[in-house]
Amino acid sequence: MNCDDSRTYLPAYLDDELDVAESLGVQKHLAGCQDCRQTEEQQLALSSALRDPDLRAHPSADFAERIEVVVRQAAKQEARSGRSSRFEFLRFESFGWLPAVAVLLVVTTIGALFVMNSFRSSHQQLIASAVLAGHIRSLQPNHLIDVPSSDRHTVKPWFQGRLDFSPPVPDLSELGWTLVGGRLDYLDGRPVAVIVYQRRMHNINVFLWPNHGSTDDAIRQEEAQGYQILHWDGAEMTYWVVSDLNKAELLEFARALRGH
Amino acid sequence: MTPQEKLRRFEEQISPHLKSAYNLAKWLTRSHEDAEDVVQDAFLRAFSAFESFRGDDTQPQNAKAWLLTIVRNTSMTWLKRNRNAAATLGFEETLNDPREHSPDPEEMLLISCDREEVRQALAQLPWEFREAIVLREMEGLSYREISATVGVPLGTVMSRLSRGRDWLRRILSTPRSLKPQEGAGLR
Repeated sequence: MNCDDSRTYLPAYLDDELDVAESLGVQKHLAGCQDCRQTEEQQLALSSALRDPDLRAHPSADFAERIEVVVRQAAKQEARSGRSSRFEFLRFESFGWLPAVAVLLVVTTIGALFVMNSFRSSHQQLIASAVLAGHIRSLQPNHLIDVPSSDRHTVKPWFQGRLDFSPPVPDLSELGWTLVGGRLDYLDGRPVAVIVYQRRMHNINVFLWPNHGSTDDAIRQEEAQGYQILHWDGAEMTYWVVSDLNKAELLEFARALRGH
Repeated sequence: MTPQEKLRRFEEQISPHLKSAYNLAKWLTRSHEDAEDVVQDAFLRAFSAFESFRGDDTQPQNAKAWLLTIVRNTSMTWLKRNRNAAATLGFEETLNDPREHSPDPEEMLLISCDREEVRQALAQLPWEFREAIVLREMEGLSYREISATVGVPLGTVMSRLSRGRDWLRRILSTPRSLKPQEGAGLR
């Protein structure tokens, strides 16, 4: 093996990617060639500099937690829709991520529409379907909130100029319901406010808009696709509350919200 | 595979490689925020495609290479969407073969110990070379795994590694004022 061969083989030799015969050839040449040994030293020095653990980029602990939450949410959603295996055809090589999300949304929305048959009046049924679809959509990454804040004095003003009404944003933190933010949605032919609360890892979406019909603040409940949906028509606002939280706790939340 | 089983296996086999995923994404996008977005996307993609992953207990490395393939593809999608950030995609061939001015080995050893210099040099490397080097040196992938991850033949992997390293050695052993332009001389 001459110097040219040795230079060609050296990186693969150092990467341990040569077969035994080739390795021995390089070793033999290195033993007798000062120049190539120098090159080897340089390459080793560069490698060790690149393998310095401090050169790596390290994710924050918060981020690791966020990924865990996101994956678990995805798992939950898959378990609910029972469609995990059918998504195998959506291989990531052939699809961009966004179309896959779009397909997922369409499928879950259609799923939601089917499941909502249990609702009585067709109008209520439509709203409930839209509320559920809105909730599921909000669970996609970055869709949950437009204004992330646990401060009601930040969330409430954010809606000004975006809505023709001012949604009440009560602070329920003392009762264990954390405000996480708000966003706009479009429902029942009008823009509506969505206030997002959280208990443990469960998101609660509260859809509300002015009630122009009769008041009936008895809480009506439905269950669809593993989600609880609560609804009442307050004196000023119509409320729809949706979450994957258990029924008892969500009722407790709805009563707290209604009482405010 | 039941949904619970899938989550359990995913968290056992894939999630431990979050650090590698983030490291690769950060080196490819060169931005903390973008790296986090890329990794989050990649993890969701990995989860929904997890049925297509056949993990092998005897080769734990495979899970990492599988995840890094998705991170790499997600990063590429991101890079294409953000052309401006990928300024290294176009550069001129202005320098001679690095071998013509062989670095003095002592100076070389001295400079390569400076972590910030190494970091900057690697960040300036055009992304094909950068990704090969990150996958090899930092993540310890074999040539074959890199070839599968990047989707190029083995020979291309070897040539990218070799040229990328030559370029790094050259830039790390040239006085600052004489440093070649970003990526110059590689194409």
